[in-house]
Amino acid sequence: MSSVRMKFLCDLDRCIDCDGCSVACDSGHELALDVRRRRVITLNEGIPGKEFSTSMACMHCTDAPCAQVCPVNCFYIREDAIVLHDKNTCIGCGYCLYACPFGAPQFPRGGIFSTKGAMDKCTMCAGGPEETNSKEEFHIYGQNRIAEGKVPLCAAMCATKALLVGESTEVDRIYRDRVVARKYSRGASQTPSTYPGNAW
Amino acid sequence: MRKILFFITLATGLFADNKEFIDQIQGDSSVWGEGRFINIPTYYDNGFAKFFVDWQGNGYFAMLAAVAILAVIVAFAGHYAIVGPKHFSHSHGKIYAFNVIERLVHLIAAVAWVVLVPTGVIMMFGEEFGGGFFVRLCKNLHGLATILFAISLIPMFAFWFVRMLPATYDLKWMFMVGGYLSKNKKPIPAGKFNAGQKAWFWVATVGGFFMIVTGALMYFLDYPAPVINETLGLSQIDVLRLSAIVHNILGAACAVFLLVHIYMAVFAIKGSIHAIITGYKEEEEVYILHHYWYQELLKKGEIKPSVFEQKYTNLK
Repeated sequence: MSSVRMKFLCDLDRCIDCDGCSVACDSGHELALDVRRRRVITLNEGIPGKEFSTSMACMHCTDAPCAQVCPVNCFYIREDAIVLHDKNTCIGCGYCLYACPFGAPQFPRGGIFSTKGAMDKCTMCAGGPEETNSKEEFHIYGQNRIAEGKVPLCAAMCATKALLVGESTEVDRIYRDRVVARKYSRGASQTPSTYPGNAW
Repeated sequence: MRKILFFITLATGLFADNKEFIDQIQGDSSVWGEGRFINIPTYYDNGFAKFFVDWQGNGYFAMLAAVAILAVIVAFAGHYAIVGPKHFSHSHGKIYAFNVIERLVHLIAAVAWVVLVPTGVIMMFGEEFGGGFFVRLCKNLHGLATILFAISLIPMFAFWFVRMLPATYDLKWMFMVGGYLSKNKKPIPAGKFNAGQKAWFWVATVGGFFMIVTGALMYFLDYPAPVINETLGLSQIDVLRLSAIVHNILGAACAVFLLVHIYMAVFAIKGSIHAIITGYKEEEEVYILHHYWYQELLKKGEIKPSVFEQKYTNLK
């Protein structure tokens, strides 16, 4: 196992519910309307002191539960811990969604009788199993910005830099430095270290 | 002025489009809306996610189904080799058992199940079949066959449910395993349907009903279902997890019973499948395997005393 581990972290004290990340994602990957890979949610709206917003997509878990339950084994986890899947193998059964703590897997309803199509989820802008940066890869999985050496769209677009993405120790260091500097913290939404899949 | 504008927008159907748009972008989804965040604690708190990931992740569901199916097949092979099938005379009288509507409804259900069970098992072992087009096709056939089964379920239940109610002699039938462990022909305590058929009936109708419901919940996936959620006290995503668990375990039972049913009709009692094709059962078969039904028909005067009264004993 490589020591590089990519992850997302959303700083709850910085997220302002501007939806820049989700709009960037929808637009950049040319997603269908019924597929929302990333979404911003505000909780406790209107309750002073308790309201906060966060940006949520696939958290690219270690030993991801979606990959564990997939009956056709269409998932693969990259060296840098990005969780990807092969849409040509996927049968759209929905099991990954039941196994996911974050509601990340999406199912477009294009077919006849509105059957669930192949699952779609955040790729951390790392494309899929097709040839890197090919037309097919873009069409099926969206941009492969990682291969181009760029930051994933959502985090790149984040106005307040609440959403961080990158190598986990580096992301943690940035967040820790911020908390130390501002002397308060509501917390962060990130791949939990006590993720149940590890304990079960 | 605002009122006029309001009516103009109403007339152009802008409100309807807006609703559709909100649906489409999952604005009111209980799975993908706010649910994405507020469902996280339920992942840890109640056991459905844990159970589902545990069982599906380790392949226990598929193993359960495979072991049950293999056990049934081995048992049948053993039974066929050691005890052997029962033969009944096809040259004596026949007794009318199933009318044309019963047979038609049974045919619809039969086609549905013959598609449902293998496609379901293929999905369970999707990885072995390589996923992709073939398994996806099976998934879609599974859904289509469900419609056929749903059509046949209510009439099937209505036709037979009274005769499928348990009776005291069913216990006797169970203790002697329906007489299938010996080749001896002596009258078996059973009505028009024996205890085994009754068990199969309840699995197929009540179990089948739950299979349709849990399957439909998973098929439609995301919909406002406050009634279900409130009665069960579960979030939508937990309803889906529970459905998957129930569907997988009950599905194994359905597969087993279907195999038993086919074995009985095709192999264990030679030619008995013709009863559901032509509607007529052999007189000897009814006398031996459905003795109380024979007595009932005799009492009603619908049949004449059988020649087998002399050949075999009579159950009181």
